Amino acid sequence: MTTDIQTSQKIKPRKSGQNFFQSFALLAPAGIWLLLLLVLPTLIIIQLSFVPGIKPGDIVNPTTDFENYRRILDPLYLQVIKRSLLLALGTTAVCLFLGFPVSFWIARMVPKRWQNLLLLGFILPLWTSSLLRSYAWITILRPTGLLNTALAYLNLPTLGLLNSTQAVLIGMSYNLLPYMVLILYASLEKLDKRLLEAASDLGANSIQVFLKVTVPQIFPGIAAASMLVFITGLGDYINPELLGGASSMTAARLIYNQFLGAAQNWGFGSALSTVLILIVSLAIAFLIKFGDATPER
Amino acid sequence: MTGLAALSGLMTASCGWKLGDVKASSTLSSAFDKLHLFTWTQYTDSKLLKNFSTQTGIKVLADVYDANEVMLAKLQASGGGTYSLIYPSDYMVEKMVNKQLLKQIDSQRLIGLDNLFPRFQNPEYDPNNSYSIPMSWGTTGFIYNSEKLTTAPQDWDYLWENQQKLSKRITLINDAREVIGGVLKMLGYSYNSQNESQIKQAYEKLQILKPDIAAFSTDAWRNQIMSGDLVLAMCYSSDAFQLTRENPKLKYITPKSGSSLWTDTIALPRTTSNIDGAYEWINFMLKPEVAARISQRLGIATPNRAGFELLPQEIQNNPTLFPPEEVLEKCERLTPVGEFEEVYGRYWTKLTSA
Repeated sequence: MTTDIQTSQKIKPRKSGQNFFQSFALLAPAGIWLLLLLVLPTLIIIQLSFVPGIKPGDIVNPTTDFENYRRILDPLYLQVIKRSLLLALGTTAVCLFLGFPVSFWIARMVPKRWQNLLLLGFILPLWTSSLLRSYAWITILRPTGLLNTALAYLNLPTLGLLNSTQAVLIGMSYNLLPYMVLILYASLEKLDKRLLEAASDLGANSIQVFLKVTVPQIFPGIAAASMLVFITGLGDYINPELLGGASSMTAARLIYNQFLGAAQNWGFGSALSTVLILIVSLAIAFLIKFGDATPER
Repeated sequence: MTGLAALSGLMTASCGWKLGDVKASSTLSSAFDKLHLFTWTQYTDSKLLKNFSTQTGIKVLADVYDANEVMLAKLQASGGGTYSLIYPSDYMVEKMVNKQLLKQIDSQRLIGLDNLFPRFQNPEYDPNNSYSIPMSWGTTGFIYNSEKLTTAPQDWDYLWENQQKLSKRITLINDAREVIGGVLKMLGYSYNSQNESQIKQAYEKLQILKPDIAAFSTDAWRNQIMSGDLVLAMCYSSDAFQLTRENPKLKYITPKSGSSLWTDTIALPRTTSNIDGAYEWINFMLKPEVAARISQRLGIATPNRAGFELLPQEIQNNPTLFPPEEVLEKCERLTPVGEFEEVYGRYWTKLTSA
């Protein structure tokens, strides 16, 4: 990185010692922050995950006992992890399905001067606390809430959505949709119009143009946005807790209960956290490998 | 916080280190003008805090929790934290004394301890109140909407008999010991059973009910039962009292087969940040007129006899707040079950994860 910038800007190369010092000064604050508050706690979690049945006040004797991990293999907990994965995937799908047309419309069909205002309108809900937004969904979805009152008024059957997995999906999709739209907008906005025109000139119909020219160009944007929604959704605690009721235990809730609930099994909680960290790392590895590649078509 | 606390542990000991070590900080000077309360959601309001501040000049910051275990975990995770006073329930007092997390109370510094009812002067969970001062007591039971339920529930078995009708309109407390304990009682066992096959039976019973339970919640049911979304909620008598006062259609019962009888106390964490302020607070709460006022306003059954006598007749005779003797006879106090707690935790996790 540094050499690139220096040669391109034709700056005299500096002594490497000075260079090292500069990099260090630039990176140290964030580096120390990450080391103390991210890397170290993660290492402690990994260490705890190998100690069976550990709770606060106990002495941690570092071991490599896989008991906590074996417990995760119980179909009951695998089901919880599967539910979390499906919810995160579902949220990603819903956000993509709802978000893409919106971003496309804002980026390609709205006059430039309105675009920022529309985007601002779209991210406005993010200015309120996510807890508040989930509470708002309770008011809408509860049995005698806004939605059912409206349905009853229209003589339609009412729905029992609150305290169900569907309610969690609704809440999560609503919370994460603005991120999807923002990132997709950024990549759609940079789309090279000349390529689209060239494709039409060469006889491609609008569907072909979309699938063969537009989508490949913005694929990195789609991948990045989907990954962000997926990862955030996987770790979401508020929506499942407030909207899911007794019927939708997710990995994040299960972890919370291991640490702060009656179970107080920090070892099992740490093992679950480690598994979640692994899943997220895997997702990010995929993003790095495939998300950034320039399409070769 | 956990990370840093654990880090210090890592550095001092080369092989084993203590997780969530709670030790008194030597550098933190206890500021006399600030008091940090860690209390139950319903046990404090701005009026109470303001009255205390005007009388003593001590500023109070209150933080709340809805389960003893959450309080314990937060206290341990933050290595004691900055809390000056906590409100553990009876069994938690016992547990915390065993873990050496509480500071012994100097009864010489208390005024008005003899105002308490005799049975609270020397409770079995904390002989002579050496670590905790009783502040409220009550039972666990059900609050229900008498307009929507034609037959009034009497006992736990009502839930299974009317499961279809109650579907997704009932909540249970988010507490392993209370919920499993209640069902154990229905099955004829003890609230404090240490027999795994009995716990398993209770778990299997609950598993049948599970699909029709809206949520496990200790606090969130309040609005929903007021609006009619829920028809029945398992709850503590002090919470129920407030709502039955606001909405006469709501009624509270303790299950016929018996229920738990609890006492919430005020205690000093070993790491208390303001010991003088803490004594001021306890003495303030022991005053009969304060006990009577908060009993009336917050719906708390006071263990303070002098305070009780100041209450209006209709509150003194309210069966929700002050249940009659024949109800109390069937109740049992939750006691710590030591290592066996793990079994409760395991079945609870299984129940809530499915």
